[in-house]
Amino acid sequence: MTRGMQQMKWGCAIAGVGIVCVLAGTTIGFAQESVAVRAPMVKGTLPADDPSSAVWGSATPATFPMSPQVHWQNRIQEATVKDLTVRALHDGTNVAILLEYADPTEDPDDSAAIEFMVGDKKAHFAHGQPMAQVEGGPVNIWFWKNKDGKGVDMNAKGFGTLKVQGHQDVKAKGVYANGTWKVVFTRPLATEHPEEDTQIATGGFINIAFAVWDGKKDASGELKEKGSQKAVSSWWYFRAEAPPDYSGYYYALLAVGLALGFQFVLIRKLKKGHSA
Amino acid sequence: MGGSLLKPVILIGIVYAILKFIVPNIPGSAPLPSSLIFLYLMLTTSGIVIFATLSGESKDAFWGPIQRFLTGENIGGLQVLRYAVLLLFPLIVGWQTYSSTATSDAPPAENRTIHPAPPGEYTGLSNPVSKTPDAIQQGKGFYAAFCSPCHGGNFDGKGPAARGFNPPPANFSDPTTIAMLQESYLFWRIKKGGVGLPIEGMPWKSAMPRWEVELPDEWIWKIIMGEYDGAHQSPRTWE
Repeated sequence: MTRGMQQMKWGCAIAGVGIVCVLAGTTIGFAQESVAVRAPMVKGTLPADDPSSAVWGSATPATFPMSPQVHWQNRIQEATVKDLTVRALHDGTNVAILLEYADPTEDPDDSAAIEFMVGDKKAHFAHGQPMAQVEGGPVNIWFWKNKDGKGVDMNAKGFGTLKVQGHQDVKAKGVYANGTWKVVFTRPLATEHPEEDTQIATGGFINIAFAVWDGKKDASGELKEKGSQKAVSSWWYFRAEAPPDYSGYYYALLAVGLALGFQFVLIRKLKKGHSA
Repeated sequence: MGGSLLKPVILIGIVYAILKFIVPNIPGSAPLPSSLIFLYLMLTTSGIVIFATLSGESKDAFWGPIQRFLTGENIGGLQVLRYAVLLLFPLIVGWQTYSSTATSDAPPAENRTIHPAPPGEYTGLSNPVSKTPDAIQQGKGFYAAFCSPCHGGNFDGKGPAARGFNPPPANFSDPTTIAMLQESYLFWRIKKGGVGLPIEGMPWKSAMPRWEVELPDEWIWKIIMGEYDGAHQSPRTWE
Protein backbone atom coordinates (compact mmCIF):
# COMPACT_ATOMS: atom_id res chain seq x y z
CA MET A 1 0.00 0.00 0.00
CA THR A 2 1.39 3.37 -1.00
CA ARG A 3 1.72 6.25 1.43
CA GLY A 4 -0.66 8.28 -0.71
CA MET A 5 -3.28 5.62 -0.34
CA GLN A 6 -2.94 5.63 3.42
CA GLN A 7 -3.49 9.34 3.45
CA MET A 8 -6.56 8.84 1.34
CA LYS A 9 -7.83 6.32 3.80
CA TRP A 10 -7.51 8.84 6.55
CA GLY A 11 -9.38 11.24 4.32
CA CYS A 12 -12.08 8.59 4.17
CA ALA A 13 -12.13 8.33 7.92
CA ILE A 14 -12.53 12.07 8.30
CA ALA A 15 -15.31 12.03 5.72
CA GLY A 16 -17.02 9.18 7.58
CA VAL A 17 -16.83 10.98 10.90
CA GLY A 18 -18.05 14.11 9.12
CA ILE A 19 -21.12 12.28 7.85
CA VAL A 20 -21.86 10.97 11.34
CA CYS A 21 -21.44 14.50 12.71
CA VAL A 22 -23.78 16.00 10.15
CA LEU A 23 -26.40 13.27 10.61
CA ALA A 24 -26.37 13.35 14.39
CA GLY A 25 -25.91 17.09 14.84
CA THR A 26 -29.47 18.02 15.58
CA THR A 27 -29.97 21.45 17.05
CA ILE A 28 -31.63 21.77 20.42
CA GLY A 29 -34.56 24.15 20.59
CA PHE A 30 -36.14 25.66 23.69
CA ALA A 31 -39.83 26.33 24.01
CA GLN A 32 -40.46 30.04 24.00
CA GLU A 33 -43.48 31.50 25.77
CA SER A 34 -42.57 35.17 25.63
CA VAL A 35 -44.55 37.36 23.30
CA ALA A 36 -42.92 39.90 20.99
CA VAL A 37 -44.03 42.99 19.10
CA ARG A 38 -42.92 42.60 15.48
CA ALA A 39 -42.63 45.70 13.30
CA PRO A 40 -42.74 44.84 9.59
CA MET A 41 -40.99 47.14 7.15
CA VAL A 42 -43.40 49.20 5.03
CA LYS A 43 -42.86 51.30 1.94
CA GLY A 44 -44.12 54.87 1.96
CA THR A 45 -44.89 57.16 4.88
CA LEU A 46 -45.42 55.76 8.37
CA PRO A 47 -48.89 56.62 9.80
CA ALA A 48 -47.30 58.64 12.63
CA ASP A 49 -50.21 61.09 12.92
CA ASP A 50 -53.00 58.67 12.19
CA PRO A 51 -53.64 55.84 14.68
CA SER A 52 -56.64 54.78 12.57
CA SER A 53 -54.76 54.50 9.27
CA ALA A 54 -55.33 51.33 7.23
CA VAL A 55 -51.54 50.89 7.03
CA TRP A 56 -51.61 49.60 10.64
CA GLY A 57 -53.41 46.55 9.28
CA SER A 58 -50.10 45.25 7.95
CA ALA A 59 -48.77 44.95 11.53
CA THR A 60 -49.65 41.88 13.62
CA PRO A 61 -51.15 43.00 16.94
CA ALA A 62 -49.59 41.70 20.18
CA THR A 63 -51.62 41.90 23.40
CA PHE A 64 -49.96 42.10 26.81
CA PRO A 65 -51.59 41.74 30.24
CA MET A 66 -51.15 44.67 32.62
CA SER A 67 -50.81 44.70 36.42
CA PRO A 68 -51.21 47.47 38.96
CA GLN A 69 -47.75 48.71 39.96
CA VAL A 70 -47.12 46.87 43.25
CA HIS A 71 -43.35 46.64 43.10
CA TRP A 72 -42.53 49.76 45.11
CA GLN A 73 -44.19 52.58 47.05
CA ASN A 74 -46.58 54.20 46.35
CA ARG A 75 -48.32 51.17 44.94
CA ILE A 76 -51.91 50.61 43.86
CA GLN A 77 -53.96 47.44 44.15
CA GLU A 78 -56.05 47.89 41.03
CA ALA A 79 -55.48 49.75 37.77
CA THR A 80 -58.01 50.68 35.08
CA VAL A 81 -56.18 49.19 32.11
CA LYS A 82 -56.05 45.38 32.10
CA ASP A 83 -54.71 44.69 28.60
CA LEU A 84 -52.71 46.61 26.04
CA THR A 85 -52.62 45.87 22.31
CA VAL A 86 -49.48 46.91 20.46
CA ARG A 87 -48.75 47.23 16.74
CA ALA A 88 -45.55 48.54 15.19
CA LEU A 89 -44.18 49.46 11.76
CA HIS A 90 -40.90 50.80 10.43
CA ASP A 91 -39.71 52.19 7.09
CA GLY A 92 -36.00 51.55 7.48
CA THR A 93 -35.43 54.99 9.06
CA ASN A 94 -38.22 55.59 11.57
CA VAL A 95 -40.26 53.31 13.82
CA ALA A 96 -43.91 53.84 14.78
CA ILE A 97 -45.48 52.02 17.72
CA LEU A 98 -49.26 52.08 18.28
CA LEU A 99 -50.64 51.40 21.77
CA GLU A 100 -54.35 50.66 22.03
CA TYR A 101 -56.29 50.19 25.27
CA ALA A 102 -59.76 50.53 26.76
CA ASP A 103 -60.35 53.49 29.09
CA PRO A 104 -63.97 54.39 29.95
CA THR A 105 -63.29 58.15 30.15
CA GLU A 106 -61.12 60.63 28.31
CA ASP A 107 -59.22 62.75 30.84
CA PRO A 108 -56.55 65.44 30.40
CA ASP A 109 -54.12 63.43 32.57
CA ASP A 110 -54.51 60.13 30.69
CA SER A 111 -50.95 59.00 29.90
CA ALA A 112 -49.02 56.13 28.37
CA ALA A 113 -45.36 55.18 28.16
CA ILE A 114 -43.01 52.72 26.49
CA GLU A 115 -39.80 51.59 28.19
CA PHE A 116 -36.62 50.14 26.65
CA MET A 117 -33.26 49.04 27.96
CA VAL A 118 -30.31 51.17 26.81
CA GLY A 119 -27.02 49.55 25.78
CA ASP A 120 -25.94 46.00 26.57
CA LYS A 121 -26.67 45.93 30.30
CA LYS A 122 -29.94 44.50 31.58
CA ALA A 123 -32.16 47.03 33.34
CA HIS A 124 -34.87 46.27 35.90
CA PHE A 125 -38.32 46.90 34.45
CA ALA A 126 -39.17 49.22 37.32
CA HIS A 127 -37.27 52.31 36.10
CA GLY A 128 -33.95 50.45 35.93
CA GLN A 129 -33.59 50.34 39.70
CA PRO A 130 -30.32 48.90 41.08
CA MET A 131 -30.04 45.11 41.42
CA ALA A 132 -28.04 43.54 44.26
CA GLN A 133 -25.99 41.01 42.28
CA VAL A 134 -26.18 42.30 38.70
CA GLU A 135 -24.85 45.58 37.37
CA GLY A 136 -27.82 47.10 35.57
CA GLY A 137 -28.12 49.76 32.90
CA PRO A 138 -30.45 52.73 32.38
CA VAL A 139 -33.89 52.67 30.77
CA ASN A 140 -35.18 54.93 28.00
CA ILE A 141 -38.81 55.99 28.51
CA TRP A 142 -41.07 57.45 25.81
CA PHE A 143 -43.92 59.26 27.54
CA TRP A 144 -47.17 60.77 26.29
CA LYS A 145 -49.79 62.73 28.21
CA ASN A 146 -53.17 63.70 26.68
CA LYS A 147 -53.12 67.33 27.79
CA ASP A 148 -49.55 67.90 26.60
CA GLY A 149 -50.21 66.28 23.22
CA LYS A 150 -46.57 65.37 22.57
CA GLY A 151 -43.98 62.72 23.17
CA VAL A 152 -41.30 63.13 25.83
CA ASP A 153 -37.97 61.29 25.68
CA MET A 154 -36.67 60.40 29.15
CA ASN A 155 -34.13 58.31 31.06
CA ALA A 156 -34.04 56.69 34.47
CA LYS A 157 -31.63 54.51 36.44
CA GLY A 158 -33.37 53.86 39.72
CA PHE A 159 -36.28 55.48 41.55
CA GLY A 160 -36.26 59.26 41.69
CA THR A 161 -33.84 59.57 38.77
CA LEU A 162 -36.38 60.14 35.98
CA LYS A 163 -35.01 62.90 33.77
CA VAL A 164 -36.20 64.54 30.56
CA GLN A 165 -33.47 64.38 27.90
CA GLY A 166 -31.81 67.48 26.50
CA HIS A 167 -32.49 66.21 22.97
CA GLN A 168 -36.04 65.14 22.15
CA ASP A 169 -36.36 62.51 19.41
CA VAL A 170 -39.77 61.04 20.25
CA LYS A 171 -43.08 62.20 18.80
CA ALA A 172 -46.46 61.01 20.06
CA LYS A 173 -50.10 61.49 19.17
CA GLY A 174 -53.19 60.14 20.93
CA VAL A 175 -56.72 59.78 19.59
CA TYR A 176 -59.65 58.87 21.85
CA ALA A 177 -62.81 57.32 20.43
CA ASN A 178 -65.47 54.87 21.63
CA GLY A 179 -63.84 54.25 25.01
CA THR A 180 -60.49 53.41 23.45
CA TRP A 181 -57.18 55.26 23.40
CA LYS A 182 -54.93 54.87 20.41
CA VAL A 183 -51.52 56.42 20.94
CA VAL A 184 -48.75 56.39 18.31
CA PHE A 185 -45.11 56.94 19.25
CA THR A 186 -42.52 57.59 16.52
CA ARG A 187 -38.75 57.94 16.60
CA PRO A 188 -35.82 57.33 14.27
CA LEU A 189 -34.62 53.71 14.58
CA ALA A 190 -31.14 55.00 15.40
CA THR A 191 -30.17 58.27 17.10
CA GLU A 192 -26.92 60.09 17.81
CA HIS A 193 -27.21 59.42 21.56
CA PRO A 194 -26.67 55.69 22.16
CA GLU A 195 -25.87 56.37 25.83
CA GLU A 196 -29.42 57.60 26.42
CA ASP A 197 -31.60 56.37 23.57
CA THR A 198 -32.36 52.76 22.77
CA GLN A 199 -30.95 51.91 19.34
CA ILE A 200 -33.15 49.73 17.14
CA ALA A 201 -31.25 47.55 14.68
CA THR A 202 -33.43 45.61 12.27
CA GLY A 203 -33.60 41.87 12.80
CA GLY A 204 -32.58 41.94 16.49
CA PHE A 205 -34.83 41.45 19.50
CA ILE A 206 -34.77 44.12 22.21
CA ASN A 207 -36.70 44.37 25.48
CA ILE A 208 -39.83 46.50 25.71
CA ALA A 209 -42.26 47.28 28.55
CA PHE A 210 -45.35 49.47 28.87
CA ALA A 211 -47.14 51.67 31.41
CA VAL A 212 -50.55 53.38 31.35
CA TRP A 213 -52.12 55.93 33.71
CA ASP A 214 -55.87 56.51 33.92
CA GLY A 215 -56.03 60.29 34.49
CA LYS A 216 -59.53 60.16 35.99
CA LYS A 217 -60.06 62.12 39.24
CA ASP A 218 -61.86 60.68 42.26
CA ALA A 219 -64.62 62.47 44.26
CA SER A 220 -62.05 64.50 46.21
CA GLY A 221 -60.39 65.74 43.02
CA GLU A 222 -57.32 63.51 43.43
CA LEU A 223 -55.95 61.72 40.39
CA LYS A 224 -56.84 58.01 40.48
CA GLU A 225 -53.49 57.04 38.99
CA LYS A 226 -50.35 59.16 39.01
CA GLY A 227 -46.58 58.72 39.29
CA SER A 228 -45.81 55.20 40.48
CA GLN A 229 -49.53 54.41 40.67
CA LYS A 230 -50.14 53.05 37.21
CA ALA A 231 -50.74 49.91 35.16
CA VAL A 232 -47.48 48.20 34.14
CA SER A 233 -46.36 45.30 31.98
CA SER A 234 -43.34 43.04 32.37
CA TRP A 235 -40.44 43.06 29.91
CA TRP A 236 -41.42 41.62 26.53
CA TYR A 237 -39.63 41.64 23.18
CA PHE A 238 -39.65 44.02 20.23
CA ARG A 239 -38.18 43.49 16.79
CA ALA A 240 -38.03 45.70 13.72
CA GLU A 241 -38.12 43.06 11.00
CA ALA A 242 -35.15 43.03 8.65
CA PRO A 243 -35.63 43.10 4.86
CA PRO A 244 -35.79 39.55 3.42
CA ASP A 245 -32.38 37.90 3.62
CA TYR A 246 -31.46 35.21 1.09
CA SER A 247 -27.83 34.78 2.17
CA GLY A 248 -28.66 31.47 3.89
CA TYR A 249 -29.52 29.96 0.49
CA TYR A 250 -26.24 31.20 -1.01
CA TYR A 251 -24.22 29.73 1.85
CA ALA A 252 -26.11 26.44 1.50
CA LEU A 253 -25.40 26.33 -2.26
CA LEU A 254 -21.74 27.05 -1.61
CA ALA A 255 -21.64 24.25 0.98
CA VAL A 256 -23.27 21.80 -1.48
CA GLY A 257 -20.67 22.78 -4.09
CA LEU A 258 -17.81 22.28 -1.65
CA ALA A 259 -19.15 18.89 -0.54
CA LEU A 260 -19.53 17.77 -4.18
CA GLY A 261 -15.99 18.95 -4.94
CA PHE A 262 -14.65 17.13 -1.89
CA GLN A 263 -16.37 13.90 -2.99
CA PHE A 264 -15.08 14.27 -6.54
CA VAL A 265 -11.46 14.83 -5.46
CA LEU A 266 -11.60 12.06 -2.85
CA ILE A 267 -13.01 9.42 -5.21
CA ARG A 268 -10.64 10.42 -8.01
CA LYS A 269 -7.68 10.07 -5.68
CA LEU A 270 -8.96 6.74 -4.37
CA LYS A 271 -9.37 5.42 -7.92
CA LYS A 272 -5.87 6.59 -8.84
CA GLY A 273 -4.51 4.91 -5.71
CA HIS A 274 -6.18 1.66 -6.74
CA SER A 275 -4.79 1.61 -10.22
CA ALA A 276 -1.33 2.63 -8.99
CA MET B 1 -18.96 -5.01 1.22
CA GLY B 2 -17.60 -7.36 3.82
CA GLY B 3 -19.02 -8.12 7.23
CA SER B 4 -16.31 -6.03 8.85
CA LEU B 5 -18.38 -2.88 8.33
CA LEU B 6 -21.64 -4.45 9.35
CA LYS B 7 -20.53 -4.98 12.92
CA PRO B 8 -19.63 -1.31 13.62
CA VAL B 9 -22.90 -0.14 12.08
CA ILE B 10 -24.89 -2.58 14.21
CA LEU B 11 -22.89 -1.58 17.28
CA ILE B 12 -23.60 2.13 16.76
CA GLY B 13 -27.27 1.30 16.19
CA ILE B 14 -27.44 -0.65 19.43
CA VAL B 15 -25.70 2.10 21.43
CA TYR B 16 -28.13 4.66 19.98
CA ALA B 17 -31.15 2.49 20.82
CA ILE B 18 -29.92 2.00 24.40
CA LEU B 19 -29.30 5.73 24.94
CA LYS B 20 -32.53 6.80 23.28
CA PHE B 21 -35.04 4.19 24.43
CA ILE B 22 -33.67 2.17 27.33
CA VAL B 23 -31.78 4.71 29.50
CA PRO B 24 -34.82 7.06 29.88
CA ASN B 25 -36.87 4.12 31.20
CA ILE B 26 -34.42 3.26 33.97
CA PRO B 27 -36.11 4.37 37.23
CA GLY B 28 -34.77 7.76 38.35
CA SER B 29 -33.41 8.54 34.89
CA ALA B 30 -34.60 11.06 32.30
CA PRO B 31 -34.46 11.38 28.49
CA LEU B 32 -30.91 12.30 27.43
CA PRO B 33 -30.42 15.55 25.54
CA SER B 34 -29.61 14.95 21.88
CA SER B 35 -26.23 16.69 22.34
CA LEU B 36 -25.25 14.08 24.95
CA ILE B 37 -26.42 11.18 22.75
CA PHE B 38 -24.37 12.70 19.92
CA LEU B 39 -21.30 12.86 22.18
CA TYR B 40 -21.68 9.19 23.21
CA LEU B 41 -22.10 8.13 19.56
CA MET B 42 -18.96 10.08 18.62
CA LEU B 43 -17.05 8.32 21.39
CA THR B 44 -18.35 4.96 20.18
CA THR B 45 -17.36 5.79 16.58
CA SER B 46 -13.88 6.92 17.67
CA GLY B 47 -13.49 3.69 19.65
CA ILE B 48 -14.47 1.60 16.64
CA VAL B 49 -12.05 3.47 14.35
CA ILE B 50 -9.18 3.07 16.83
CA PHE B 51 -9.96 -0.63 17.35
CA ALA B 52 -10.28 -1.30 13.61
CA THR B 53 -6.98 0.37 12.76
CA LEU B 54 -4.87 -1.26 15.48
CA SER B 55 -3.17 -3.69 13.11
CA GLY B 56 -2.40 -3.44 9.42
CA GLU B 57 -4.73 -6.34 8.66
CA SER B 58 -7.70 -5.04 10.56
CA LYS B 59 -7.10 -1.63 9.01
CA ASP B 60 -7.40 -3.07 5.53
CA ALA B 61 -10.45 -5.08 6.53
CA PHE B 62 -12.06 -1.92 7.87
CA TRP B 63 -11.15 0.64 5.20
CA GLY B 64 -11.15 -1.70 2.22
CA PRO B 65 -14.93 -2.00 1.92
CA ILE B 66 -15.40 1.76 2.49
CA GLN B 67 -12.89 2.49 -0.25
CA ARG B 68 -14.47 0.01 -2.66
CA PHE B 69 -17.90 1.40 -1.90
CA LEU B 70 -16.80 4.98 -2.59
CA THR B 71 -14.98 4.14 -5.82
CA GLY B 72 -17.82 1.88 -6.91
CA GLU B 73 -15.50 -0.93 -8.05
CA ASN B 74 -17.07 -4.39 -8.03
CA ILE B 75 -19.89 -3.50 -5.68
CA GLY B 76 -22.65 -4.77 -7.94
CA GLY B 77 -26.13 -4.03 -6.62
CA LEU B 78 -24.83 -1.51 -4.10
CA GLN B 79 -24.20 0.96 -6.92
CA VAL B 80 -27.64 2.54 -6.36
CA LEU B 81 -26.90 3.00 -2.66
CA ARG B 82 -23.53 4.53 -3.58
CA TYR B 83 -25.19 7.13 -5.80
CA ALA B 84 -27.72 7.82 -3.03
CA VAL B 85 -24.93 8.44 -0.51
CA LEU B 86 -22.97 10.63 -2.96
CA LEU B 87 -26.15 12.65 -3.57
CA LEU B 88 -27.35 12.80 0.02
CA PHE B 89 -24.07 13.90 1.59
CA PRO B 90 -23.87 17.28 -0.24
CA LEU B 91 -27.59 17.84 0.34
CA ILE B 92 -27.28 17.22 4.09
CA VAL B 93 -24.24 19.52 4.27
CA GLY B 94 -26.25 22.18 2.42
CA TRP B 95 -29.27 21.78 4.68
CA GLN B 96 -27.12 21.91 7.81
CA THR B 97 -25.41 25.06 6.55
CA TYR B 98 -28.75 26.67 5.76
CA SER B 99 -30.24 25.93 9.16
CA SER B 100 -27.16 27.19 10.99
CA THR B 101 -26.95 30.49 9.07
CA ALA B 102 -30.68 31.26 8.80
CA THR B 103 -31.67 33.93 11.33
CA SER B 104 -34.03 32.71 14.02
CA ASP B 105 -37.54 34.09 14.07
CA ALA B 106 -38.02 33.31 17.76
CA PRO B 107 -37.17 35.71 20.60
CA PRO B 108 -34.03 34.80 22.59
CA ALA B 109 -34.44 31.66 24.70
CA GLU B 110 -34.77 32.38 28.39
CA ASN B 111 -33.66 29.71 30.81
CA ARG B 112 -34.49 31.33 34.10
CA THR B 113 -33.51 29.54 37.30
CA ILE B 114 -36.57 29.70 39.53
CA HIS B 115 -34.83 28.90 42.82
CA PRO B 116 -31.19 30.05 42.49
CA ALA B 117 -28.75 29.59 45.36
CA PRO B 118 -29.12 32.17 48.15
CA PRO B 119 -26.15 34.21 49.41
CA GLY B 120 -24.22 32.41 52.17
CA GLU B 121 -25.53 34.56 55.01
CA TYR B 122 -29.09 33.42 54.28
CA THR B 123 -28.52 29.66 54.45
CA GLY B 124 -29.55 27.74 57.53
CA LEU B 125 -31.13 30.63 59.46
CA SER B 126 -33.86 29.38 61.77
CA ASN B 127 -37.09 31.24 62.38
CA PRO B 128 -36.54 33.21 65.61
CA VAL B 129 -40.29 33.63 66.18
CA SER B 130 -41.97 30.88 68.24
CA LYS B 131 -44.54 28.99 66.23
CA THR B 132 -47.64 29.89 68.23
CA PRO B 133 -51.19 30.10 66.86
CA ASP B 134 -51.06 33.83 67.55
CA ALA B 135 -47.87 34.35 65.52
CA ILE B 136 -49.25 32.29 62.62
CA GLN B 137 -52.48 34.28 62.70
CA GLN B 138 -50.54 37.55 62.70
CA GLY B 139 -48.42 36.29 59.81
CA LYS B 140 -51.56 35.48 57.82
CA GLY B 141 -52.81 39.00 58.48
CA PHE B 142 -49.57 40.51 57.13
CA TYR B 143 -49.74 38.09 54.18
CA ALA B 144 -53.28 39.27 53.38
CA ALA B 145 -52.16 42.90 53.44
CA PHE B 146 -48.81 42.73 51.63
CA CYS B 147 -48.54 39.46 49.69
CA SER B 148 -52.04 38.35 48.67
CA PRO B 149 -52.53 40.98 45.92
CA CYS B 150 -50.10 38.93 43.80
CA HIS B 151 -49.67 35.55 45.52
CA GLY B 152 -53.42 35.24 46.09
CA GLY B 153 -55.76 34.88 49.07
CA ASN B 154 -55.63 31.11 48.41
CA PHE B 155 -51.80 31.08 48.28
CA ASP B 156 -52.05 29.90 44.65
CA GLY B 157 -50.21 32.78 42.93
CA LYS B 158 -53.44 34.03 41.40
CA GLY B 159 -53.97 37.35 43.14
CA PRO B 160 -55.80 40.17 41.34
CA ALA B 161 -52.51 42.01 40.62
CA ALA B 162 -50.71 38.94 39.24
CA ARG B 163 -51.92 38.92 35.64
CA GLY B 164 -49.33 41.20 34.04
CA PHE B 165 -46.24 39.77 35.68
CA ASN B 166 -43.77 37.54 33.87
CA PRO B 167 -42.41 35.53 35.67
CA PRO B 168 -45.72 34.96 37.48
CA PRO B 169 -45.88 35.19 41.29
CA ALA B 170 -45.03 31.87 43.00
CA ASN B 171 -47.87 29.46 43.75
CA PHE B 172 -47.22 28.37 47.36
CA SER B 173 -49.73 25.51 47.24
CA ASP B 174 -47.64 23.91 44.46
CA PRO B 175 -45.42 21.27 46.12
CA THR B 176 -42.43 22.41 44.01
CA THR B 177 -42.23 25.89 45.57
CA ILE B 178 -42.00 26.61 49.32
CA ALA B 179 -42.33 22.92 50.27
CA MET B 180 -38.90 22.38 48.64
CA LEU B 181 -37.31 25.34 50.41
CA GLN B 182 -36.13 26.15 53.89
CA GLU B 183 -37.55 29.05 55.88
CA SER B 184 -34.24 30.88 55.58
CA TYR B 185 -34.58 30.80 51.75
CA LEU B 186 -38.01 32.48 51.96
CA PHE B 187 -36.57 35.03 54.39
CA TRP B 188 -33.95 35.95 51.76
CA ARG B 189 -36.45 36.14 48.90
CA ILE B 190 -38.96 38.27 50.83
CA LYS B 191 -36.33 40.57 52.34
CA LYS B 192 -34.27 41.24 49.16
CA GLY B 193 -37.07 40.80 46.60
CA GLY B 194 -36.68 40.35 42.85
CA VAL B 195 -33.73 42.74 42.60
CA GLY B 196 -31.80 40.55 45.09
CA LEU B 197 -31.70 37.58 42.68
CA PRO B 198 -28.43 36.48 41.05
CA ILE B 199 -28.12 36.79 37.27
CA GLU B 200 -29.50 33.28 36.55
CA GLY B 201 -32.72 34.34 38.31
CA MET B 202 -33.11 37.28 35.85
CA PRO B 203 -33.69 39.93 38.55
CA TRP B 204 -34.61 42.56 35.93
CA LYS B 205 -37.90 40.75 35.27
CA SER B 206 -39.13 40.13 38.80
CA ALA B 207 -41.84 42.33 40.35
CA MET B 208 -41.27 40.97 43.88
CA PRO B 209 -40.78 44.00 46.18
CA ARG B 210 -37.68 44.39 48.33
CA TRP B 211 -39.63 44.15 51.57
CA GLU B 212 -36.63 44.94 53.81
CA VAL B 213 -37.26 48.63 53.14
CA GLU B 214 -40.85 48.40 54.37
CA LEU B 215 -41.24 45.52 56.85
CA PRO B 216 -39.31 44.60 60.04
CA ASP B 217 -37.62 41.17 60.04
CA GLU B 218 -40.02 39.87 62.69
CA TRP B 219 -42.98 40.49 60.39
CA ILE B 220 -41.23 38.68 57.56
CA TRP B 221 -40.62 35.60 59.76
CA LYS B 222 -44.29 35.66 60.78
CA ILE B 223 -45.39 35.98 57.13
CA ILE B 224 -43.31 32.86 56.36
CA MET B 225 -45.16 30.93 59.10
CA GLY B 226 -48.50 32.20 57.81
CA GLU B 227 -47.60 31.18 54.23
CA TYR B 228 -46.68 27.60 55.12
CA ASP B 229 -49.75 27.20 57.32
CA GLY B 230 -52.12 28.75 54.80
CA ALA B 231 -50.73 26.79 51.84
CA HIS B 232 -50.75 23.52 53.89
CA GLN B 233 -47.03 22.98 53.28
CA SER B 234 -44.04 22.41 55.56
CA PRO B 235 -40.59 23.91 55.19
CA ARG B 236 -37.86 21.60 53.95
CA THR B 237 -35.57 20.39 56.71
CA TRP B 238 -32.36 18.38 56.55
CA GLU B 239 -33.13 16.15 59.53
